[in-house]
Amino acid sequence: MTGSVQADPAREAGATATAVVEASHVARVFRMPAGPVTAVRDVTLRIEPGDYAAIRGPSGCGKSTLLHIMGCVDAPTSGRLLFDGHDITGLSDNARSRLRLQYIGFVFQRFFLLPMLTAWENVELPLAEAGVSKEARAARTAELLEYVGLAARAGHRPSQLSGGEMQRVAIARALANRPQLLLADEPTGELDGATGKQIAALLDRVNADGTALVIVTHDTGLAGRARRVLMMRDGTIEAR
Amino acid sequence: MNAFSFAWRSLVRQPARSTLGILGVAAVGALLFDMLLLSNGLVLSMRDLFTGVGFDIRITASDSIMNTGRLIEDAEETAADIAALPSVDTVITLRVAEALFSRPEVRSRYVSFQAAGGGDVRPWTIIEGRQPETARELALNANILRRMDAAVGDTITVRASCSDALEAMPPLTFTIVSLADFPFDSINGATAGVTVAALEEACGGNGGNAADLILVASTPDAGPDAAAAEIAELRGDLYPLTNDAALGQLQAGSFSYFNQISTVLITVTVTFALLLITVLLTVSVNQRLGEIAVLRALGMSRWRVIADVVWESVLIVGLGGVLSLPLGALLAVWLDRILKQMPGVPTDVHFFVYQPEAFTTHALLMLVTAVVAALYPMRVVSSLPIATTLRNEVGA
Repeated sequence: MTGSVQADPAREAGATATAVVEASHVARVFRMPAGPVTAVRDVTLRIEPGDYAAIRGPSGCGKSTLLHIMGCVDAPTSGRLLFDGHDITGLSDNARSRLRLQYIGFVFQRFFLLPMLTAWENVELPLAEAGVSKEARAARTAELLEYVGLAARAGHRPSQLSGGEMQRVAIARALANRPQLLLADEPTGELDGATGKQIAALLDRVNADGTALVIVTHDTGLAGRARRVLMMRDGTIEAR
Repeated sequence: MNAFSFAWRSLVRQPARSTLGILGVAAVGALLFDMLLLSNGLVLSMRDLFTGVGFDIRITASDSIMNTGRLIEDAEETAADIAALPSVDTVITLRVAEALFSRPEVRSRYVSFQAAGGGDVRPWTIIEGRQPETARELALNANILRRMDAAVGDTITVRASCSDALEAMPPLTFTIVSLADFPFDSINGATAGVTVAALEEACGGNGGNAADLILVASTPDAGPDAAAAEIAELRGDLYPLTNDAALGQLQAGSFSYFNQISTVLITVTVTFALLLITVLLTVSVNQRLGEIAVLRALGMSRWRVIADVVWESVLIVGLGGVLSLPLGALLAVWLDRILKQMPGVPTDVHFFVYQPEAFTTHALLMLVTAVVAALYPMRVVSSLPIATTLRNEVGA
């Protein structure tokens, strides 16, 4: 894993053989009272630097579980997972936290901004956790809020923002530590059509600026903007 | 944003819940503080009272500090023998009887009639007037002076009751020569101080040379323990008790109830505090499971989210604990007033006495409560399955 979280032009062009994420025969089985449930089965997948992939499929087919495995918030029951060429399957909880903090960004359907913090503080939070200096944090936070078009709303709390604005702040927060990979789970799921398109355009821009992007969505319009669409059914990827 | 700031924001975000929590801790903390003051307060207060009288050894005819009715016979000679000991500085005898006081057009009252003999020192303090010197003079405390509608210089009729067998003593007229403060007076206590000769006369010549108590002040060089040992050697039939030994008896006897009560109530209040904070934090954490899962997904470590919970607990308990001190102080004053209404409790004795150890113990107990109360919520947070929680939150 490289020390840099800056987008690498060579990677953007897909010139290197090292994938950002590479899953080999990954499976995830949940032990339920009624018996084991296989959410993801034998998935093999590569996400290249600068990639833009959309995962589609019916509810319960394992899209979010696959996203969580790629984002290191869940661990596969079997199979192998590489991040930037490093096997992360057996990483400790702390190491996984560090990996998420520095190399992976998350955007959620329900935004999940912290309500007691302002937009500025929400964006600044991962930077502070990563130990970034106060001056550098301020510069990066201002840059990101400008990037998502919310510089004027920096002092507002989530309750004072619209759904679209909250999702923009969530995207800025996800980008705070310049992640190699941005994972978005139904990022337009809670938004009206017009706002959803604005968010989709912002995600396009994030990807164009060099961040690999994987989105789980039911929104065909959003999925259509991805370079490739992975169709999932019953825990497996059916089509690419 | 560090864990402390984060916890502070969490508290501010939910002002109603936080305020209720802090007030709850303040109430429980105030009780805890009071129980800590009570646990040792009576002993400390009694020590001050004993020391304040100016004597450090009390001699009785029985091994109990409590009045058992046994008198020290030949008190005058005994006091003289004790006074001759090299370790002894001052000796006085004290005989306590009961007397009915009367004045025209005023209701008669029973009064504790104390006769002090030997030495010049008296176990009471003159506030106005002078010490009684003759057999027909007395010093009265403020209560009886007020109740008898009398003043220094007035006369009063006294009918003493010196023993069970001699109930009907002739009435004698005494002159009130002073207003005095008797250290062991209760809040409604009526007490008179007289000379041994006065008691002898009031009792019709019976029992004047006996004492309930002999009070001894040791020399500074010898100290009370050495003096008590010498007295015990001189008079093996008497029981000299130093102030510390007397306090020890009280502590092991009647005062132990207060100690036991305070221990039980300390345990109960700490348990209440624990439950209260645990419930508050658990509710708070359960309301924010989605947020916590997101924080973890964003890369916050397990320890970081645990630290948030601990700081939140420390803040609630800390703020409540600080508030509990003035609240506890007010409560202590109020409770002290109530308890001092109990019959026989000296006015100068306090049940709740401030001591540095009480503050330290209070702070320690509150800190331990904060940490222990956070254990369960910490466990919830630390074992939170991130992916499942995110899925559930979206599903909800």
